[in-house]
Amino acid sequence: MSIQSFRSYFPTLDSQKLIYLDSAATTLKPKIVIDSQTEYYTRYNANVHRSSYALAQQSTQLYEQAREKVAKYVNAKTKEIIFTKGATESINLLAYSLFTSGVIKKEDNIITTGVEHHANFVPWQQISKYNKNEIRYYLPKNGIFKAEELSMIADSGTKIVTFTAQSNVTGQITNTLESINRLKSINPKIMVHLDISQYVSHEQIDVKSMNADFVSFSGHKMLAPMGIGVLWGKEELLENINPFLFGGEMIDYVGIKDSTFNILPYKFEAGTPNVSAAVGLSKAIDFINETGMENISEQINKVTEYAVEKMKNIEFIKLYLPGQEAHSSIISFNIDGVHPHDVAHIMDEMSGIAIRSGHHCAQPLMELIGAQSVCRTSFYAYNTFEEVDTFIDTIYKVKRWLE
Amino acid sequence: MSLNEIYSDIIIDYSRNPKFKRVLNNSEHSHSKNLSCGDEIDIYIKIEDSIIKDISYEGKGCIISSSSAAMMCETLKGRRYDEALKIIENVLKMSHKEPYDEELIEDIQVFSDISKYPMRVKCFTLSWHTADDILRSWKKV
Repeated sequence: MSIQSFRSYFPTLDSQKLIYLDSAATTLKPKIVIDSQTEYYTRYNANVHRSSYALAQQSTQLYEQAREKVAKYVNAKTKEIIFTKGATESINLLAYSLFTSGVIKKEDNIITTGVEHHANFVPWQQISKYNKNEIRYYLPKNGIFKAEELSMIADSGTKIVTFTAQSNVTGQITNTLESINRLKSINPKIMVHLDISQYVSHEQIDVKSMNADFVSFSGHKMLAPMGIGVLWGKEELLENINPFLFGGEMIDYVGIKDSTFNILPYKFEAGTPNVSAAVGLSKAIDFINETGMENISEQINKVTEYAVEKMKNIEFIKLYLPGQEAHSSIISFNIDGVHPHDVAHIMDEMSGIAIRSGHHCAQPLMELIGAQSVCRTSFYAYNTFEEVDTFIDTIYKVKRWLE
Repeated sequence: MSLNEIYSDIIIDYSRNPKFKRVLNNSEHSHSKNLSCGDEIDIYIKIEDSIIKDISYEGKGCIISSSSAAMMCETLKGRRYDEALKIIENVLKMSHKEPYDEELIEDIQVFSDISKYPMRVKCFTLSWHTADDILRSWKKV
């Protein structure tokens, strides 16, 4: 893969002086994805699953083809792919529906971890509070996740364990397969939900071999437009849980006293869906397949390793890496004596570098790593060694400038 | 836009000046958070005969928020509470690019460019909003 020709697919990189090091927040979009939005609204705009005219039929077809594309991409059945507005909605849907369906009962316990993004932490915490069931937290030392420690807090009363495949702060790739195997050896009935929002951007996904029961991710972290995400679940499990949102499209029959609901996946997709974004996600998958996920991962890993090595040599920065554990694409750090907000602002002004600063919607993890806030740089396959060099130079400049 | 607009020497100097950075016992106190970055600040105000006799801040924050807090303390110390509220109102107007009374807010005008940086306005206004809360609830009592 030639990096220069790969970069040329991303118009954002042409239009301004920008070193974009915030792909963990959202990736840039390739032209083919951007163009698909105009094309959809120009040529195919019609509401889906409703009218009988040809345009509505075409629009519905595009939407359902997108679902098939996603299903094939993650090795799932088409009816197991539920479109949401993003991973946050996917997780809220799952947590809420498991409770309202009585799948999680008062006597059950559920487990989440301190490594999670708030989106995979707060829904479970709040719904447990409401439902009055026990919620257990795996709070790993220094925020470094260990598969063998997670399973230690599970027991025969554990109903579901929810955790991330990659931390959005430390960049640690958790060993999901080993974690799941250990959990299911303690209690084969434990269900596992994985938040793969970060992982999905640089790894090929096969939900069957991942051995989870539910998986959530957002399209916009894998080149697709914002506003489209996926909840995948095993068919038999999804069949047994109630809808989350009620409204149009998800209905079988509505009577004055009660209603019955549509089949999978439609019973979870109330209201007009984000059809254009689904089409965009489909185009993003085409783009990834044509490029080759192995090429994308390779470039991301090379650039990440290069940056880690350079940053390790800077004596005035603190890195928040996961020790010996697997790691990719994300590096969090602090410059001694400089607040992350100032670092991010000054880097942008000096060199047009976009990095993130703050608590990264992971306050429990910030406590575990002992930081109030951190700077975070994150990479995608359009990032180059030269960009990392400029980033490193700018770290020195920021430090010098403030002295 | 240039870096020196907002990171001027005077602003950086104030952010490092410890003069007003301390806990003030037996004072009116309020605690605030900047939700976007997790920064927290405490403002302490001692009011006697409607005059701000002493004022201080505590907390960890960026250059903009610490400098803003330090300059605020210097500006508000010795003012009558209603005069202080007027100053705060005009400072907040400046930060939102609305017309404000330049004479009234004096030195705080070094921050007049903050409105060009929407992502940093919250850093700047955190201490002012907190002081505003303290003075308003004091007034009610």
